[in-house]
Amino acid sequence: MKIELKLFATLVQFLPENSDEYPIDQGETVQSLLGKLGIPEEDVTLYFINAARAYLESEIKDGDRVGLFPPVGGG
Amino acid sequence: MSSSIKDDIQDQAIRISLPKGGEGDTISIDAIASIAKMHGQPGYVIEAEALKDSVFPTRYLRNMDGITSDEQIRLLESSVAQVGLGGLGGNLLEMFIRTGIGRIRAADGDNFEESNLNRQALSSPDNIDRPKSDAGLVRTNQINPSIAIETWNEYLNPQSLPDFLANCDIAIDALGGLKTRLALQQAATEAHIPLVTGALAGWTGYVGVVMPGQLGPADIMGHDNAAEETLGCPSPAVTFIASLMATETLKILTKSPASLTNKMLLVDLKHLTFETISI
Repeated sequence: MKIELKLFATLVQFLPENSDEYPIDQGETVQSLLGKLGIPEEDVTLYFINAARAYLESEIKDGDRVGLFPPVGGG
Repeated sequence: MSSSIKDDIQDQAIRISLPKGGEGDTISIDAIASIAKMHGQPGYVIEAEALKDSVFPTRYLRNMDGITSDEQIRLLESSVAQVGLGGLGGNLLEMFIRTGIGRIRAADGDNFEESNLNRQALSSPDNIDRPKSDAGLVRTNQINPSIAIETWNEYLNPQSLPDFLANCDIAIDALGGLKTRLALQQAATEAHIPLVTGALAGWTGYVGVVMPGQLGPADIMGHDNAAEETLGCPSPAVTFIASLMATETLKILTKSPASLTNKMLLVDLKHLTFETISI
């Protein structure tokens, strides 16, 4: 099972090379994905799966496009 | 007996060949200013009257038909309350005054500093250490004296926000940092007006439209430690996010469907990706 991973702003440093086909396990959640990527939970404020807002416990499925966005407030 | 506004507009109208073909009546910026002065009215009122009589203010001629005559009237008769006159705010003000939104109330309690010069349209070496609100007033009167501009040289807070938003049609979140954004969103809900918001860090940013009582980016983003502290705010990203915010604002004021209602458009200019997500 593979997903497309999109990381924004300061999270780009955690982007794996295989982000277009990032392997996931059965029952993968946003929270377990953050653990795999080594991203501290407090660094991410917005998660989305296929253009809908998601949550830490949201399950990720094969072929999903998953985005992670940090706090951003500059102007 | 003194003449009516309507008569004065017709007297000063000039028939020209329109850029889109055919002929039409137009009225110059000088004529608008003199009629406004003669009748003790702000220029935007005269401009709206002219449009209602099918006389086109020359200054808005090239808005057509991207902005139709009816839409231009709506904009001239609208009022926005914009919080922030920094990076996003300076660009937004420039677009609002050139487009022709009749009444603008804008607040910022900050003075310019040298590190603003990379992106803040109202800043220049001449006004370092001077109030951003003063620069907003000067710029508006310089570019479009038809606009009724009111500037507040203060940082708004939950106590002052209701007065600031009073009698305005829309709230604009052009704040820097996350600290006051949620308070503004809540005040807009209390005032029963839509909020257009946007922010960025580096080459990444977002824009959203929040209808009263709905969830918005400020509910999600938290209050501190945001990415712009390390990634900064480069000029093209600031201007781009401001352009998206201005466009959504015009759509709402002209009663066109706003594309980002209860959504966020996430922009990554470095990798050129655009994602609209429901929140």
